[in-house]
Amino acid sequence: MDEKRPLILIVDDVALNRTLLSDVLCDKYDTIEAKNGNEALLILREKTSEISLVLLDMVMPEKDGMEVLTIMNKNGWINEIPVIMISVETSHSLIEGAYSLGVTDFIGRPFDEMVLRNRVNNTIRLYAKQKHLSDLVLNQIYEKTRNNSMMVTMLSHIVEFRNGESGMHVLHINTITEMLLRELLRRSKKYLINSDDIGIISTASSMHDIGKITIPSAILNKPGKLTPEEFNIMKGHTINCAQMLNAVPFGKDEPLMKYAYDICRWHHERWDGNGYPDGLKGDEIPIAAQIVSIADVYDALTSERCYKKAFTHEKALEMIHNNECGVFNPLLLECLDAIADRLVSSLQTFDWGKQADKDFFYIADSMMKDRNAPVYNQAFRQYINESKKSHFFCSMLDDIIFEYTYSPSVMKISTTGAQKLGLPNTITEDENPNGVPQNENWKKIKNILLRHTTPKDIPYSVRQTLYIDGKSTPCKIKVLQIWNNIPNEAPVLASVYGHIDVLQQN
Amino acid sequence: MSLSEFYSSLGESLDEVLGRLGMESRIVKYLGLFVSDPSFSELKEAFANNDVKTAFRAAHTLKGVAANLGLNTLSKSSSELTEDLRPLAFTENSKALLEKVELDYTVAVEGIKQLS
Repeated sequence: MDEKRPLILIVDDVALNRTLLSDVLCDKYDTIEAKNGNEALLILREKTSEISLVLLDMVMPEKDGMEVLTIMNKNGWINEIPVIMISVETSHSLIEGAYSLGVTDFIGRPFDEMVLRNRVNNTIRLYAKQKHLSDLVLNQIYEKTRNNSMMVTMLSHIVEFRNGESGMHVLHINTITEMLLRELLRRSKKYLINSDDIGIISTASSMHDIGKITIPSAILNKPGKLTPEEFNIMKGHTINCAQMLNAVPFGKDEPLMKYAYDICRWHHERWDGNGYPDGLKGDEIPIAAQIVSIADVYDALTSERCYKKAFTHEKALEMIHNNECGVFNPLLLECLDAIADRLVSSLQTFDWGKQADKDFFYIADSMMKDRNAPVYNQAFRQYINESKKSHFFCSMLDDIIFEYTYSPSVMKISTTGAQKLGLPNTITEDENPNGVPQNENWKKIKNILLRHTTPKDIPYSVRQTLYIDGKSTPCKIKVLQIWNNIPNEAPVLASVYGHIDVLQQN
Repeated sequence: MSLSEFYSSLGESLDEVLGRLGMESRIVKYLGLFVSDPSFSELKEAFANNDVKTAFRAAHTLKGVAANLGLNTLSKSSSELTEDLRPLAFTENSKALLEKVELDYTVAVEGIKQLS
């Protein structure tokens, strides 16, 4: 099997010492050399996930071994990359210092090559095993989180479907709850919630209306005003849900269960005590329920329902402030005002894949913070950081950027780009053949994407007129193709990254 | 002069080095690299420039390299100089210790040059 050879970084200021080490190791390993601490750190930064072991000298110019170790600690590299220190140093306290900075082993000079080789082999084997195990756990967590989010989303959609509403309501509540929580945490330490709770509470918010499965459809979907009796039955969805959750035989102490209970039972309570079912007042109402109640009201106002038209964002805020939907916690109203500007665009750009990844980011973040269970997988860490980086840069750009995958056919367009083109952010054709926009721009772009082509490694451009903000405008579409190269098969065009340059009209 | 004669002439043992480094041809290669290693000239220069930090580092390096090649006399004298310089100040002994290192170094390098 053509397995990749582990890479060892040899750090020593003396050429003779580096040669000696790489001669010993070159039959089984690839080596890369640095002649001082600074060089070593540059290589470590570049190739963090590739290096399997560092052999480090202690006394060197331009950052000695101890300084290198200190920085490796600061960056968390020491948790992922084992270091064996090799030195003629005999001072007990210096060697102890090296161990306390995390070196796996210390080899004194003169060393026996056989011993060195075996220590290197063993260290690399142990770390590879550990890395493999942590990869396994991470993959499982990733799968589980995605499946859990999907499960919760599916269940809550079933409830929404019965209400005759699109699934968007639940997704909106998710987003609004999360934004309000973040703002609240920024403003106040009064409530006993921390950043780890944000993900759990916003997941629990999906379940706020599951009690409605106990309400007869005739009442649930009645177009006109409910009679007092009917309204009483409707109100029962809060208590009914609480009873259902109480009947679940396990998980009573799980945060998700507690938050779900609070939210289901009390998301119709109001700050002045005029809500239902228990007439709780002020902070007697758990904070998670207070937040979801605002999110619920905002989304109900701005959406069309069987008994009402949709209000605008501004009108909805005004009605909430005027207590037209009951009285809310003044601190939460401040939070709502603070996020108001971002709210509209966040709700428009929502997509489920992102939400599932977001849940995963929460877990990943709290795992990385956990000193007892550090994440060893540098590649994973880089993946998280890269994803965050590209999310951030895309949100900053005013340009039209898109990403198209061929199978399944999914087009994702940057937010402002989609607005300019008059297209949705995400276009999925395979699952949704009727939902494809009959839009000239989409037809033209797709023609270019589906053109027969041979593999190209560099971006190429196509000139094409498109409707930008409704006006026919000359544009330059620049695309980079990503081909899947499978051995012994013809290459397959997997995806395309694109940028649309709007040329000025003459 | 053979490799074994070289080590005997210095009062060292080739067998000890062979046990650690495996092959005669490799030992010869490293001795060649040792001759071109700048640590000793850096040490001298540092003394001339009153640069105790560089002097300490060079002595430390010399000690390690010599030890790995089984040049134990040189390693021992370099070690004494290293400890003398560790507080990063020249002492009244420093000069004499350097002279001993220079003597051991010169003997070793002269011997290496005569290897057949």
